[in-house]
Amino acid sequence: MGAFVDPRVEQYARLLVDRSLGVQAGWQVMLVATPSARPLVEELVRQIGRKGAWPLVRLSYVDQEQVPFDSLWASEAPEDLLGTMAPGEARVREELDAWLLVFGSENTRGGTILSPERRQKLRQASMDFTRRRLTGELPWVGCLYPTEALAQEAGMTLADYADFVFGACLLDWEAEAARMSRYTERFDAAETVRIVGAGTDLTLSIAGRSGLVDDAHYNMPGGEFFYSPVEDSAEGVVEFSEFPAVYQGAICEGVRLRFEGGKVVDASATANEAFLIGALDTDEGARRIGELGIGCNPGIQRHTRNTLFDEKIDGTVHLAVGAGVPMVGGTNHSAVHWDMVKDLRPGGRIELDGEVVQENGSWAL
Amino acid sequence: MDPRIQAYARVLVDCIEPQPGWQVSVRSQPPARPLIEEICRELGRRGARALVRLNFDAVGGAFLRYAPIELITTPSAIELHEIEHTDSYMAIVAPENTRDGADVPAERMGARQAALREPHMPFLMDEKPWVGCYYPTAACAQDAGLPLPAFEDFLYGAVLIDWHELREKMERIAEHFDRAETVRIVGPETDLTFSLAGREGKVDALSANMPGGEIFYSPLEDTAEGVISYLEYPACYLGHEVEGARLRFEGGVIVDASATIDEEFLLGTLETDEGARRLGEFGIGCNPGIQRHMRNTLFDEKMEGTIHLAIGTGFPQIGGVNKSAVHWDMVKDLRNSGRIELDGKVVQENGAWALS
Repeated sequence: MGAFVDPRVEQYARLLVDRSLGVQAGWQVMLVATPSARPLVEELVRQIGRKGAWPLVRLSYVDQEQVPFDSLWASEAPEDLLGTMAPGEARVREELDAWLLVFGSENTRGGTILSPERRQKLRQASMDFTRRRLTGELPWVGCLYPTEALAQEAGMTLADYADFVFGACLLDWEAEAARMSRYTERFDAAETVRIVGAGTDLTLSIAGRSGLVDDAHYNMPGGEFFYSPVEDSAEGVVEFSEFPAVYQGAICEGVRLRFEGGKVVDASATANEAFLIGALDTDEGARRIGELGIGCNPGIQRHTRNTLFDEKIDGTVHLAVGAGVPMVGGTNHSAVHWDMVKDLRPGGRIELDGEVVQENGSWAL
Repeated sequence: MDPRIQAYARVLVDCIEPQPGWQVSVRSQPPARPLIEEICRELGRRGARALVRLNFDAVGGAFLRYAPIELITTPSAIELHEIEHTDSYMAIVAPENTRDGADVPAERMGARQAALREPHMPFLMDEKPWVGCYYPTAACAQDAGLPLPAFEDFLYGAVLIDWHELREKMERIAEHFDRAETVRIVGPETDLTFSLAGREGKVDALSANMPGGEIFYSPLEDTAEGVISYLEYPACYLGHEVEGARLRFEGGVIVDASATIDEEFLLGTLETDEGARRLGEFGIGCNPGIQRHMRNTLFDEKMEGTIHLAIGTGFPQIGGVNKSAVHWDMVKDLRNSGRIELDGKVVQENGAWALS
């Protein structure tokens, strides 16, 4: 390890290796990261090695959440190559025992070169792997390493941003798990969720669905519990007036969605409305709700234009339009999964079957 | 962006001649980004797949230092599968610090190399194409004793040449050597003969090294007789720079060796194994873009007007049978009162060819 590594990086790596993935001897663990994340990657490699497991490091200059290929290659290659993964790479992804993704952009707008059609083909190529991940068959975790670009996006200095990131991640996760499980039990027993707040009155059914707590197993930071609501149940209006809705580098302000029978029938935004409408028109499933999540991370109190963190802000809920989560019974299919965060701290509330369980962001359970 | 990078990427891809559908592994370090991106585009245009494999240093860094040794001696199934199914690889050395990896103990480094040797056999035997090269980083320039722009000029001057013309020229030269039996190298404190009888040379142009620009042979292993003195440049190997190396051969074996600086390393290397005292390679540098010594073998051995002899392992694909863990290329400049004779006839004098 280099001489200038923040000691919090070691604790962070330990949480990822031990808690999030539970790395075992003999495992082959893929680490996808950017060069900017070098201190964390080296610490992860070291700890994975100590467990007797093999790290497979895949560095790329652009964050690779959706597109596990070099986007420049994909901008030139014949289109028929794009829809299938390189056979060697496909095999790798079948055999992997765990997958760890480190976001660490040098430029948060770096991934937008590829045309939507080509991006869509690449996504299709990685569908088998995405399925393996999202069904829970493969241990995986997404996390972030603080970089100047991410700090800039969040409106902070790098030092403040690093404090923010580690403050959200280095928590007593057993205690957080216990607390979130109590909330989840209450939601599991309910049928109808009603969300009320500024410009917002929306009801959803979660009848027959059970929630999942992310206590730092899928995301680092964890700190949410989430459902895939019954796909045709959403009724009413939600207005994301407190924070911008952020997706793939695009920022939409003042998004307002009206649902009937589970579908968005009316959508508007005060800024970048065209992008919103375009996303909703991607496919059949893009107008339905794939996820309802409740943010519970006490270390996250502010919005940083980064969904990984924003969706866990304590006292917020988020709704994703698009693909549901099969692990929690979601059946909606879409190429889109856009989490939009609604702040309930200033005068919002959550009701379960008519009973208020959270008001102004404080639990009343 | 420096327009030479795009031209360089094209030349490198030409070295492996990818076919549509090939899986090409692109191995490098983060500073090579501009070149890697151009290579990805170029591979895409030719319908081949780019599997980019970046590491923070060329040797495997943190894993090699900290993993249990058993993990190092047994590569993961995924890595082995990938090497086996890679149609070609491009290795672009682009260090941020050329001493990265210097903290990996030799036995760990050796274990890793040994574990990867067998899976790489198709490449070592030239059954699958590969290319090794450099991207000009500040660290490389520092080692060369140059500011980065000067090092870039040097590197691009060596790789952006008319390779087809140079290949033809080298093929004409190689014909003379292929037909000859005895090579004699004469120069200051140097008079060495060895036999190439029955051996064929290989011309390196748009193949496994970029820059290429050499013709090389594995001489008959028991034929070297006489003395060679490397007075012009240090003999560089594994980070050492041995000055004034002088080797005397009898019956193909080095029977006497000395040096004015770092003699201990020279003698120690010759003791490595049986084969370390015999010649594995005779090469003739022909790259007109390389006129100065850089203490970097990839470039130095291609310098026009020089020859190099490697002690240690030979090349089985051109008939070499010597085996050793060592392969140390030492470069001798013949431009200043040196000559090459083939079967008694002078074919090169003071670095200039005199071929009929």
